[in-house]
Amino acid sequence: MRILVVEDEHKTADYLFKGLSESGYTVAVALNGLDGQHLIQEEEFDLIILDVMLPGMNGWQLLQTIRRTSQVPVLFLTARDAVEDRVKGLELGADDYLVKPFSFAELLARVRTLLRRAPARESSVFEVADLQLDLLRRRVTRQEERINLTNKEFALLHLLLSREGEVLSRTYIASQVWQMNFDSDTNVVDVAIRRLRAKVDDPYPIKLIQTVRGMGYVLEQPS
Amino acid sequence: MSPWPRALSLRLALLFALVSTLVLGAIGFYLYQSLQKEIVWRDDQALLGRLERMRALLDDSDSIEVLRQRPHLYSNMLGNQESLLLMLDERQQVLIEINPTQLHIPPLPEADHVQLIDTTGAEPARLAWIHVQRDTQPVTLIAGKVLTERNQMLAAYRLKLGIALAAGALLAFLLGWLVSQRALRPVRRLAKRAAAIDVQHLYLRLDDEQQVSELRTLSRALNLMLARLEDGFAQLSRFSEDLAHEMRTPLSNLMGQTQQTLRRSRSEEEYQSLLASNQEEYERLARMIDSMLFLARTEQPQASVNLTRVDLHALVEQLCEYFEGMAEDSGMQLVNQTEGWLLADEELLRRALANLIANALRYGEANSPISITSQQLEDRLEIGVHNLGTPIAAEHLPRLFERFYRCDPARAQTGDCGGLGLSIVRSILQLHGGRVRVNSSERGTWFVLVLPTNGVTPTAEAMTDPAQSGPTTR
Repeated sequence: MRILVVEDEHKTADYLFKGLSESGYTVAVALNGLDGQHLIQEEEFDLIILDVMLPGMNGWQLLQTIRRTSQVPVLFLTARDAVEDRVKGLELGADDYLVKPFSFAELLARVRTLLRRAPARESSVFEVADLQLDLLRRRVTRQEERINLTNKEFALLHLLLSREGEVLSRTYIASQVWQMNFDSDTNVVDVAIRRLRAKVDDPYPIKLIQTVRGMGYVLEQPS
Repeated sequence: MSPWPRALSLRLALLFALVSTLVLGAIGFYLYQSLQKEIVWRDDQALLGRLERMRALLDDSDSIEVLRQRPHLYSNMLGNQESLLLMLDERQQVLIEINPTQLHIPPLPEADHVQLIDTTGAEPARLAWIHVQRDTQPVTLIAGKVLTERNQMLAAYRLKLGIALAAGALLAFLLGWLVSQRALRPVRRLAKRAAAIDVQHLYLRLDDEQQVSELRTLSRALNLMLARLEDGFAQLSRFSEDLAHEMRTPLSNLMGQTQQTLRRSRSEEEYQSLLASNQEEYERLARMIDSMLFLARTEQPQASVNLTRVDLHALVEQLCEYFEGMAEDSGMQLVNQTEGWLLADEELLRRALANLIANALRYGEANSPISITSQQLEDRLEIGVHNLGTPIAAEHLPRLFERFYRCDPARAQTGDCGGLGLSIVRSILQLHGGRVRVNSSERGTWFVLVLPTNGVTPTAEAMTDPAQSGPTTR
């Protein structure tokens, strides 16, 4: 999977390059709009991450040029999160946007979603190690033992399982499980995870829910 | 553009002049009219008297011939160039004529009584005539007065009146201008005083003690406005200062920790823990900036809300679920006693309530309930969040909703919204045209969101199961 990052801020470009490369993508970086346009004409990309404020040719203009020839998914980054800006980007044909500052976990999640062209197989049974979640029967078992979860605990576990291996930020979890689309500035998510762990992880030898300090939580089989 | 001059004193002077002209003009007109009427009456009386005497003379005299031969009898009687006297027989032949100005006499109809007429022409005149029977011979007696002199006199009088009127108006204008200049002196003083007030001198006030009463109202209103401005301005500058301080804390943590770690080589774990700790500070900064932007946007006059029908009980239920874990950790129970529907921006209302509940969880007494209630009043809906705990001191209550205000400066906790949570609540309520109030006592702390409903309660066509709107304890 090839990703083009068009970003004039060196530090941002640098960490996006490193982070995305480490996540297994092939990354090209353009430091201004014209270079970006050039690269797009020369090579094929599966996704373009575009900063709006660019010297030479700004992100909107570049986006318009891209859309004339290709339908490659575009994720734009902006420091201005006025509603008009977001609407403008989406109207010009961007597929998603992120407002700076954003967490890297959030960016990765969006990138994965955009690259996952066909929706992921919506399976109704999730399985990691000896943990099983049956969506239809609303049953969770570990080592064949039934675990009783509240509705929200079930939703939280379902979210972690469906994004197995992805680090999910607290904000993202709050918005997905409780529809809290703002930073409520509390440790609600941590408390919820702790309670879920007490039922799902603590009694068992293999711990599946991991804390990634400074980023969030991930559910995966420890290597 | 109005045709009026911009200067108030000039305007007043013009008005004075206008009023004086009207009054003087009316008086002048009245006096002139009465004078004219009086003169006309006197002249008419003189003419009638003359006719009467002629008639008497005719009766006394033996014949007209005698009269004609004694012209001094009547010329004496007339004695000036203006008067005229004629006697005509039935064939309109002149028997006697005293007519110094050779006035043309128009034919006059027969009249048994004395008749009066004004003739027009080169020389206007007033004529009185009568037909009398003298020895079976009808005679017409005509007495007249040429009006030239009278008209000249009246014209001169009119001219004088006009000049007096103009002079009066001019005088009124000048005096009016002087008077209003003087009377408007307090306004100039006020302007001078007001001009001295700028950003550095917002504490100055307009002195309203020695003012004339009309200006006192104005300067009081201006003073109130100044007080509000000063207040707002002070809040703004305090806010910038607080903001700088609030950003300093995480920044100094970041700089200190990083420099300290970089002093020598560390283990991988140490680096990791430094980065993770930095991340927490960054998040704190990002949250603060988010909140600030949110406040800045909601406080813009053109900020708008997206009103929808909101099921209050369901909304609060959702929030209770969200905070359930935190509450149980400290042995608290969230009690949802709300019901009904309202028109509001759901996302914003959720945020306001979440801030209040988070606040209650943070400061409430362990092992006590936190109740969320609603009350539909005549024109408003009140949503209350109540918790038990140490009361907030009365002096803090009015300032609680200011940005970065903390009752106890040392009480800045991690996870505290940097003192912006309650400001956000207030902004959200202001956007809805409502307000938030708080009271705190030994019986607990109440935050109440007051939302105007304008007497309209959104009807719940799809009112949910009544069992659901009862109190729910979690």
